[in-house]
Amino acid sequence: MEFRILKYLGFFLTATVLFVSCTKEVQIDLPGYKEQLVVDGRIETGMPAIVLLSKTSNVYSTTNFETYLNSFVDDAVVLLSDGTTTDTLTKICTDDLPPGLEDVAAGIFGVPAAALSSLHLCAYISLNMLGEVGKTYTLQIQHNGKTYTSSSRITEPVALDSLYWKPEGNFTDRGFTWAQLSDPGNTTDAYCWEVKYLQEATFSKTFNPYFNDKFFNGLTFEFGYENPMSFQDTTANNPYRGFFKLGDTVVVKLSKIGPKEYNYFEKKYNQMYSGGSPFAVPTNVPSNIAGGALGIWAAYSPWIDTLICQ
Amino acid sequence: MLRFLLVSFLCLSFGAFAQKKPTLSGYITDLRNGEALSYAKVFVQELKTGAVVNAYGFYSLTIPSGNYTIEFRADGFQIQVLTIALSENQTRNVELEMAVQETKDIRVTGKRSDNVTSTKLGQMELKMDQVKTLPAFMGEVDVVKTLQLLPGVSSVSEGGQGFYVRGGGPDQNLVLLDEGVVYNASHLFGFFSVFNADAINSVNLIKGGMPANFGGRLSSVLEVNMNEGNLKQIKVKGGIGAISSRLTIEGPLKKDKGSFIVSARRTYIDLIAKAAIPDSSPFAGSGYFFYDVNAKLNYKLSAKDRIYLSAYYGKDIFSFKDKNGGFKVEMPWGNGIGALRWNHLFTSKLFMNTTLTYSDYKFQFASTQDEFRVALTSGIRDYTTKVDFSYFPNPKHRIKFGAAYTYHDFTPQGLSAQNDTVTFNTGSIQHLYSHETGLYALDEFDLNDAWRFNVGLRYSTFSHVGPFDRYIKGDGISTFDSTIHYGRNDVIAFYQGLEPRFALRYLLPDNSSIKAGYAYNYQYVHLVTLSAVSLPTDIWFPTTDLAKPEKGFQTSIGYFKNFDKDRYEASVELYYKGMKNLIEFKEGALPGDNINDNTDNLLVYGEGWAYGAEFFLKKTQGAFTGWIGYTWAKTERRFPDINEGNVYPAKYDRRHDLTVVGTYKLNERWVFSACFIYATGNTLTLPSSWYVQDQNLLFQYGPRNSTRMAPYHRLDISATLYGKKFKTKTDPATGLDIQVKKAYQSNWSFSVYNVYNRMNPFFLYVDNNGDFMSGDFSLKIKQVSLFPIIPSVTWNFEF
Repeated sequence: MEFRILKYLGFFLTATVLFVSCTKEVQIDLPGYKEQLVVDGRIETGMPAIVLLSKTSNVYSTTNFETYLNSFVDDAVVLLSDGTTTDTLTKICTDDLPPGLEDVAAGIFGVPAAALSSLHLCAYISLNMLGEVGKTYTLQIQHNGKTYTSSSRITEPVALDSLYWKPEGNFTDRGFTWAQLSDPGNTTDAYCWEVKYLQEATFSKTFNPYFNDKFFNGLTFEFGYENPMSFQDTTANNPYRGFFKLGDTVVVKLSKIGPKEYNYFEKKYNQMYSGGSPFAVPTNVPSNIAGGALGIWAAYSPWIDTLICQ
Repeated sequence: MLRFLLVSFLCLSFGAFAQKKPTLSGYITDLRNGEALSYAKVFVQELKTGAVVNAYGFYSLTIPSGNYTIEFRADGFQIQVLTIALSENQTRNVELEMAVQETKDIRVTGKRSDNVTSTKLGQMELKMDQVKTLPAFMGEVDVVKTLQLLPGVSSVSEGGQGFYVRGGGPDQNLVLLDEGVVYNASHLFGFFSVFNADAINSVNLIKGGMPANFGGRLSSVLEVNMNEGNLKQIKVKGGIGAISSRLTIEGPLKKDKGSFIVSARRTYIDLIAKAAIPDSSPFAGSGYFFYDVNAKLNYKLSAKDRIYLSAYYGKDIFSFKDKNGGFKVEMPWGNGIGALRWNHLFTSKLFMNTTLTYSDYKFQFASTQDEFRVALTSGIRDYTTKVDFSYFPNPKHRIKFGAAYTYHDFTPQGLSAQNDTVTFNTGSIQHLYSHETGLYALDEFDLNDAWRFNVGLRYSTFSHVGPFDRYIKGDGISTFDSTIHYGRNDVIAFYQGLEPRFALRYLLPDNSSIKAGYAYNYQYVHLVTLSAVSLPTDIWFPTTDLAKPEKGFQTSIGYFKNFDKDRYEASVELYYKGMKNLIEFKEGALPGDNINDNTDNLLVYGEGWAYGAEFFLKKTQGAFTGWIGYTWAKTERRFPDINEGNVYPAKYDRRHDLTVVGTYKLNERWVFSACFIYATGNTLTLPSSWYVQDQNLLFQYGPRNSTRMAPYHRLDISATLYGKKFKTKTDPATGLDIQVKKAYQSNWSFSVYNVYNRMNPFFLYVDNNGDFMSGDFSLKIKQVSLFPIIPSVTWNFEF
């Protein structure tokens, strides 16, 4: 959904350069490393806030699974306020999970459910506060003597006009999900598209799940999205990757997010897809957390619908 | 200002008339083809004084009546000595013949003894015959790459065309082709210059102490002049190289009255690609090529009037097709330049050149993926008119004054996008219109034999005018976007400035001199770039109500000395440069952010400074010629909104830069050349840490330009084999064998680029592989190098 003209150009040039060039590993001085707290927090309508905390690592640090596990923070105090009440978030760790949360935890941490009990990965959850439309949620984190804060607001959701599946190209039983959206005029709107199979516990994101209405403010238009779950199948040359098949039942979640949150995600995805290219700008992802932490605290206002691919 | 000009002009005119001295004037040309010798000189033996011709080969010398022995000289030509009885104004056009002894040697520059005597500080000239014998990358003779071998000039990157002069940005160089501004002087994403060496007559670079007749840029002036065309006979020359071929035809329109030249060049990378990609491939139809055409006409309308019409048109076309993905990209870009000049001689002391130029640069990008189409365009169109006067009241004063006006039409970025049913709102194509003017006067005068001054003043103005839409961005929460509309010719912003220029030379008795200079400049157009590498997508942007004009000063001092009867020239120059209102995109700006917005809403402003020392030693005569240049330099930037307001090195900050260039003429047939370059590595910004958010790996970058790549060094060599220039013929009158010059000449040029195959860094990146779960995650810093050892051969011919 994004205009990626110059990214395409950068991609071609990079591909061309790499085609004619030679690459080798080098050791070079990379100044400027400092350890920073990383916040990965979200709240959405009807759901508790979930906050993961971790730390940055030096590019030259050892890169193994231990480093990844050790980067998580479990000694912080996290508070959430909706303007009237404040909740202290509960720390829930994978080695002490309440029953029934395995699949959700596996989805959050990206770790197989069976491995969870042997690991110590913690999330902070607002068991006493669920997201409500129209409220602004302020997060406060206290860690190592420092305080970090951020706010995000759950706005009115925007419903899709329609949601459907249609076969793609020469296929008769494979296709993308399509939707028609009437974007509200006069406001700057940003969205996140997520999808899951009916039976799954957590939603998945596509390659470029965040978009705003810069180019279609107030317009009605149709757009399609691929199947992100199908990419977990890494079989080479699988011609069906990216497609939903006839008969699939999927749940689509279109969430509205705020402009600051969109700015974070836009730049995050830009960095993920162009990082390292000499034709791209070295861009840090702009956090909305005050106090010197990286990451994001984002409120989502979802609209959810179920689609049978037929 | 106008009053100042008139008063100066009238005072000097009156002074000159009051003395009632006759004037000797005329043109100095090359006997072989009638082309002006723009570096010729006239010297009066009895008075020990003289004159230098202007760019059109015109000289004027006002001296007391008398009988004189007058020398007409130009480097590489035989001196012609005339005895002239001067009692009233007299016109003498002189044709100089190539010096016989010069055929044994190769001359390094056109102005040998100027090194010490002129007020020129930080100026470098290249002669094309010398450029053509140096090693050429892929066999393409390239003036810009040769300029990069001079001290104080550095390249943007491996093979890159962009050049940085004394710590200034690539947009701070005024590049002129026959007085028309060239906005993008490169082909193939910067690897080749737009200047076809066969069409070029001379190249002059002013690194510092810019004279007042130039303006609009902070750092340097690169003047490239096209050949005028042979006035005597039809000539054809050309070459076949590894990646391109070229052909030039020149000749008289009417003998000794007018001539033409047409020169064209085209690459065949696309044809090679076509052969490599079968029609069945999904990528069939993908390719890249560029071509350019230079053409010039000139005609002497009368003894006092001559017109020149020059044109350049060049285009790069890149296309990529992937039938499987239903994806197609077409990306053409290029320059078109036209210049009409009229030389008129009002009197033997007052020469006028009037110029009308048109300069157009356009970049387009169109992509189609299934039903989704995107088209992007950006460009600049300039209409310029200017008039320049050269006035020679007496041998002690050389005065120039003039005025220039340019109408700019900038299209920083226009985008259209649509799919099957919906045309997306990408706003209308934004144009920015502006008027730029300049008015100047300068006088180069000799106080006495030792002291020479060049004093000038330039006054420039710039107005940003409507129609224009100013977008005011809201935060999307409490304030929303709005637009202010300005009507046609509404003045949105107006700027003006005085630009003093000053240079002096003090001649020391031991064939050496000390020179010093100061120049203050305004720059009203800016190049803003998002990428670390120069791309055709870089946006030229004018001064507006938000984007202020760049201002800069440069002060320099130098010591110049010639040795061994001018066989060696040496110089040491020190400079300091300060720059204000420099422009960058703000941190985090993305390509496409300026759609539905003004580009200047995304810009931030800062300052910069640069200082350095340049050492230069050149051998100008003999079978072996060449030079050694070394530069120590530092250039830094400070932007309140970049790098947390801390000072950071410019991306082309280079502490050391060494070039060694040598050419050896073994005999009439073989010439060998070599050049060696060593430069401190460029700076860049790389991640210093990583983190994970939502299971995605992200990087946090270190301070701006805090990483320095490995040093760059490279050796190139070349050999040129000339065909036999003479053939033996029997003279029917005497029956003896005589040597006759062959009408057909050819040579083979062999080059090896990067002889010892040094893997120089082009860029570095952090490479991440694997994932944490499988335990094979790794981060590595990788260096990408572009060009390994590349041999090439080119065949050139002329008849």
